[in-house]
Amino acid sequence: MKNSVPPSQAGVLKNASARSILAALICILGGLVVGFLVLLLLTVFAEDISVAEAFSGIVIVLGGPFSGGSAQDILFQMGNMLFQSTPLILTGLSVALAFNTGLFNIGAAGQYLMGAMGALLVSLSIPTTVVPAAIVWILALLAGTLLGVLWGAIPGFFKARFSVNEVIVCIMTNWIAANIVSWVFKSTGDRFINVAETKVNFIRKTASNGVATATLGLDKLFAGSYMDISLFIAILIAVVLYVILNRTTFGYELKACGYNKFASRYAGMNEQRNIILSMALAGGLAACGAAFWCLNGAQDFKWDTYLTLPADGFNGIPVALLASNNPIGVIFSAIFLKHITVGGSNLAAQTSFNEYVSPLIIAVIIYFSSFSKLIKDLLLRRMTKAQHATPAQPADPPPAAGPDKGAADEDAKTKEE
Amino acid sequence: MNHDSSDPRREGEGAPYAIEMRNITKVFPGIVANDNITLQLRRGEIHALLGENGAGKSTLMSVLFGLYQPESGEIYKDGVRVTIQNPNDANALGIGMVHQHFKLVDVFTVLDNIILGVEPNTLGFLRKKAAREKVLRLSETYGLNVDPDALVEDITVGMQQRTEILKMLYRDNEILIFDEPTAALTPQEIGELMQIIKGLAAEGKSILFISHKLNEIMEIADRCTVLRKGRYIGTVNICETTKEELSNMMVGRDVKFSVDKSVPKPGKTVLEVRDLSVKSRLHKKNAVSNVSLTVRAGEIVCIAGIDGNGQSEFVSALTGLEKPEPGSRILIDGEDVTKKSIRYRNTHGLSHIPEDRHKHGLILDYTLEQNIVLQRYFEEEFQHGGFIRFDRVRDYSEMLIEKFDVRSGQGPATIARSMSGGNQQKAIIARELDRYHSLLVAVQPTRGLDVGAIEFVHREIVASRDAGAAVLLVSLELDEVMNLSDRILVMYEGEITGELDPHTTTVQEIGLYMAGARRQNPEKGGGAA
Repeated sequence: MKNSVPPSQAGVLKNASARSILAALICILGGLVVGFLVLLLLTVFAEDISVAEAFSGIVIVLGGPFSGGSAQDILFQMGNMLFQSTPLILTGLSVALAFNTGLFNIGAAGQYLMGAMGALLVSLSIPTTVVPAAIVWILALLAGTLLGVLWGAIPGFFKARFSVNEVIVCIMTNWIAANIVSWVFKSTGDRFINVAETKVNFIRKTASNGVATATLGLDKLFAGSYMDISLFIAILIAVVLYVILNRTTFGYELKACGYNKFASRYAGMNEQRNIILSMALAGGLAACGAAFWCLNGAQDFKWDTYLTLPADGFNGIPVALLASNNPIGVIFSAIFLKHITVGGSNLAAQTSFNEYVSPLIIAVIIYFSSFSKLIKDLLLRRMTKAQHATPAQPADPPPAAGPDKGAADEDAKTKEE
Repeated sequence: MNHDSSDPRREGEGAPYAIEMRNITKVFPGIVANDNITLQLRRGEIHALLGENGAGKSTLMSVLFGLYQPESGEIYKDGVRVTIQNPNDANALGIGMVHQHFKLVDVFTVLDNIILGVEPNTLGFLRKKAAREKVLRLSETYGLNVDPDALVEDITVGMQQRTEILKMLYRDNEILIFDEPTAALTPQEIGELMQIIKGLAAEGKSILFISHKLNEIMEIADRCTVLRKGRYIGTVNICETTKEELSNMMVGRDVKFSVDKSVPKPGKTVLEVRDLSVKSRLHKKNAVSNVSLTVRAGEIVCIAGIDGNGQSEFVSALTGLEKPEPGSRILIDGEDVTKKSIRYRNTHGLSHIPEDRHKHGLILDYTLEQNIVLQRYFEEEFQHGGFIRFDRVRDYSEMLIEKFDVRSGQGPATIARSMSGGNQQKAIIARELDRYHSLLVAVQPTRGLDVGAIEFVHREIVASRDAGAAVLLVSLELDEVMNLSDRILVMYEGEITGELDPHTTTVQEIGLYMAGARRQNPEKGGGAA
């Protein structure tokens, strides 16, 4: 019998989440291999880089903050990596939630910008001399999130009401958001919230009035870094989202609409409402990520004007894919992406590869992560084959085998088609 | 059983079979799909292959088509042993197949589809003229009546099937396999197909006809091989057997074709429809126009008609999936629900077995238990504070699975997609019948099911009636209509054109109403009891 897989391995593959994790790992490995090949190719063309550096280069990328050098550096880089993961976890959750309802939220970038604007406007325009900074922080977080909810609801509304493809509306709302936010920053910038506009970007030191996310000493543990508690709030949100999707009637409805909107309608679910709600929540999540970024207190909000969209908005897509749209998985895939991003900047700092190479390697790995669905399907097929390869029963099946028979034949039918 | 008895009408003893599959055994893990099966197809005969879902018919045909390699057994063509490694080998041997789901390119013309894969060309430039002539000639010879220049997406299902037949003929195939060819056809199209198949056999083609519909086999086949649970049961001459014997061979027990049911005791009116009209998506006329009818508790009213005469639209409006035109009124238990939501209807007495179990009936990626509570997950019994009570869902599903004998690999946790069609339908029926309902709307509840499952579904529908529910059955199968209903309404071009009593009418008479050749002029509100 060909293709026989040890039963234990087939057993592991039987579990759907184990399959997802394995698929993600295979994708990452594939990305690393291709990334390594790219480095290798570069060493061939660049005279000043030796072939051995390609190998040490990929180790540096994979090492992330751990390739930072001294213990102090490692902790510093680690703190920044974890802080930077927060918005990516939330945009990843945003995309994953929409996917669960059968929608493609490619508008996370616009929702992210609206969230940044809402949070900045509120946090910087309320004087902390009158209102306690903690209250302003909460108000700013809510304002940013709410703006994202509204922004996400727009494509949801058009999809539900007029059957307009959400991808098109999302892309349009992305650019509309970019222009609205530019216009608001430009017109209120100097006298109101004091966002500085340089030739290439908007910069705002977000803490000029003491509004900042609590750190609970994390900034001391990861000395010098931006680390605050927002990561833990993001993880909490991921867990809550997981519970909502898998344990509640609301999640049951959202996923039902995603899988089969006709059957959901037949069952009396309000499919239009669910589409709008799903997109609105997705928008809120992405915006919440932006708010955490802006409300850190020590962080620059830097953004390259209306001609660009924030990368974290789009990177939510590979994060969600790598996690197979599982909210818990999103935590890990987002941290991993930031991990290799830090590794990438170490690559530029420590080797002769220049600063353009590291984003290239990251891009390759991100690109590969979108293959996770394909790999998962391949694993599923392998599992089915492995089951077929287990020893068959004698020619006289016991009566209990009756029901499986139909399944085997059905399986045969499917393959035939 | 007249296994291998010679048929005097055909060739004499000793002539090699067109195809002989000898002692085929195909084993899948945990299951013997084909256990020592022998199939002998004579030249020029129509040979039926009969068996329930999962009996091993498809596996056997996959072996013949080269999709599977058998563990043991041989295949002979015209007495010569052949090995078939893949479908190309099968094609080269002149074996062609019309699959249950057609394999046509929708946006290509009929001719393009026929020559697809064997395009006649000179230096890569298509030369369709000769191909067209051949297609036209074949089409005429066998009475196929297909326009070679029509786009496949524009022609009817019956014509698409004839295109598939032409595909086989164009390739000069001698052995033609039809896999459940009548599943998607209207009664007239079935009649035409039967004529075509008979014509093909008369021209010397050898035909394998896979089906579980006994009437068709009795009508068309010369001989019939029966499989049950992967085993060879026997081969019989159709002229020497009966429907009852065939079904006994297929199921392994006697099957009742008539439904046991007592005299109906109609009670109060449950469903009242007044002047219901529904816009058509296809043309300017209404798909349903001014239909009025009533269904009372404890009776089964059947809407008969040829597919596409407004039945689907009528049911959509009735169940809330589609909005009816202004002026229409639908009352369930005396309450006007015309403007109510689907959820409201579902929770106020309506159960609906939908026409398309994959589109409407199930969420295929959900588990069986999640599908079982599809309309009840929000009820107090199954949720608390917005959280689904999975333990109760599990208990309830297990109870229903037991009660309705729904079979699946992993019980309540089975993904619905992996279940067989019959068991998917059983799950829907279990769900709809166990819910509180005063009105059951069942649309084609036995479509694609084998006789054993059909018997089960009919029994359950009658049980629902006897428990006091009003049943509105929509069916295209005249047998079902005659067997199950207490009253028959015929729908033709969106109108109710006749009300008939199943005890006094005949299939022929219903057929005339279905074809629009006859109509009653019922009083306003016709169809009322």
